[in-house]
Amino acid sequence: MARSVWKGPFVDAYVLKKAEAARDSGRNEVIKIWSRRSTILPQFVGLTFGVYNGQKHIPVNVTEDMIGQKFGEYSPTRTYYGHAADKKAKRK
Amino acid sequence: MTEMVCVGAIAGAFGVRGEVRLKSFTTDPTAIAEYAPLSTEDGSRQFDVALGRQVKGGYAARLSGVLTKEEANALRGVQLFAPRDRLPDLPDDEFYHADLIGLEVFDTGGASLGRVKTVMNNGADDLLEIHGPGLKNTVLLPFTRAAVPTVDLGAGRIVADPPEGLF
Repeated sequence: MARSVWKGPFVDAYVLKKAEAARDSGRNEVIKIWSRRSTILPQFVGLTFGVYNGQKHIPVNVTEDMIGQKFGEYSPTRTYYGHAADKKAKRK
Repeated sequence: MTEMVCVGAIAGAFGVRGEVRLKSFTTDPTAIAEYAPLSTEDGSRQFDVALGRQVKGGYAARLSGVLTKEEANALRGVQLFAPRDRLPDLPDDEFYHADLIGLEVFDTGGASLGRVKTVMNNGADDLLEIHGPGLKNTVLLPFTRAAVPTVDLGAGRIVADPPEGLF
């Protein structure tokens, strides 16, 4: 069942604090968080979070498209390397 | 010698008429036929590929010089390679994983950070997994213009400006 709208989006309080501190400092740093369940809010856009996947922190650059989704969606917990073959990477 | 890229593998025979079950590692699985002729790892044999229908675990394919089920079964487990220069050119800021893997990574001060072990994707960005001699675990570096300002394939080096707290 979907979360009731009247409650507003859920974000762990420490994530908000860390994000605010990082934004105030203006430094380009990775904000390490363990809260995969927190919703991505508009004030997180432009920040880089290190989202824990149970083993390490995966860097996630937050963009506008991610608003409303959860941090955990961008930090896969399983690794599959496969073959490079003709796979491409795009530098954004 | 031209660098070779593994694009597929033979999983065994398919049927009794000399077809093979071909596993494709390419982004578009049917593109493997465009890179033919494909060679074995040691380059001793070359095959033209005629891709058939999709079957469980890959494609039914006919390889040149493979006419019987026994010949097809003998090739089970063989990996198929294409020369790197047969892959099409890419626009700026797009790179083949095969080109990035193995490049040495330097910071903006010129100190070595390690080598690219693999390229991953977290659903939003591509990430370079870097393994260095002084690192306990591998480090994931976002493949963005801000974090990776320079990629010099000719010199085999990447210049990185990683965010604080990553290394």
